[in-house]
Amino acid sequence: MQKVVSEISGSVFSLPWLIAKDQGLFAAEGIDMEFVRTRPSGAVPHTENPEDVNPILGHTAFEESKVSIYRA
Amino acid sequence: MVRPDSPHNYPGTLGHRPIAVQFHAGSHYVALRLLEGYLPNDKIKLVHYGSPQQRFEAMWRGEVDACVVMEPWIALGEKLGCKALCEGHYLGAENASDDMDEATFAAINRAVGKAIDLLSADKRRYLHYLIDDPRHAEALARFGGLTPEDFHLPRLRYAKATPYSDEIVADTYHWLVRWGLIDPTASAADLVDNRIAQVAATLADDA
Repeated sequence: MQKVVSEISGSVFSLPWLIAKDQGLFAAEGIDMEFVRTRPSGAVPHTENPEDVNPILGHTAFEESKVSIYRA
Repeated sequence: MVRPDSPHNYPGTLGHRPIAVQFHAGSHYVALRLLEGYLPNDKIKLVHYGSPQQRFEAMWRGEVDACVVMEPWIALGEKLGCKALCEGHYLGAENASDDMDEATFAAINRAVGKAIDLLSADKRRYLHYLIDDPRHAEALARFGGLTPEDFHLPRLRYAKATPYSDEIVADTYHWLVRWGLIDPTASAADLVDNRIAQVAATLADDA
């Protein structure tokens, strides 16, 4: 089995991935899929300027090479 | 989406009114794409509020006139009597690290594709994933909760992964440049590398 770690952010975006894991579809392909859930942002400083916000957002696990795939 | 008692009934009255989004995410881009059809650019007032829960609650409290959210917050809002003024969809992307090889990516796509077949055959069966997500389950319950029957199923659209076409990349790149959301000296060819996706798509189709 090949280990793959995937980020899960909004469940609506990852719904097929959640189903694939629970139905054994990744395992059937030889993939040992592990999910890492991003944490919701909580309260953030409000701004009208997009340049005030880091575009990486919650995808820090990917930036830190802790997960190998994410969807957005 | 706006509160049940909101005076707004279509996007054209939202000029200079605060709308909660998450900058650099789908809610930000979809808001601009939808609102620019109704309002001059300088009247569109988007405010960064972070997660969908933060945006929804800001709308509900009346801090902002509207929020941009996805499911399950749309279903919750409609259950509470909120009004959807406009609705849009966008194309999601799988972003893989440099060390993801074609065969692994193809295997993942085959598994996800089969899951999409299951989901398309019976969407309501799998909506508990959206309701029970530990990141917002408590908040949904605080607003009265959701059941799978509360969702409008045609809104949930899942398609099997395919590489972006050059036309879609170019159109999106030029739109981002027009809104000042990307370095105009960057090249679309430098930003999107479909090399692995194209090979993986072939492998997935051949299996």
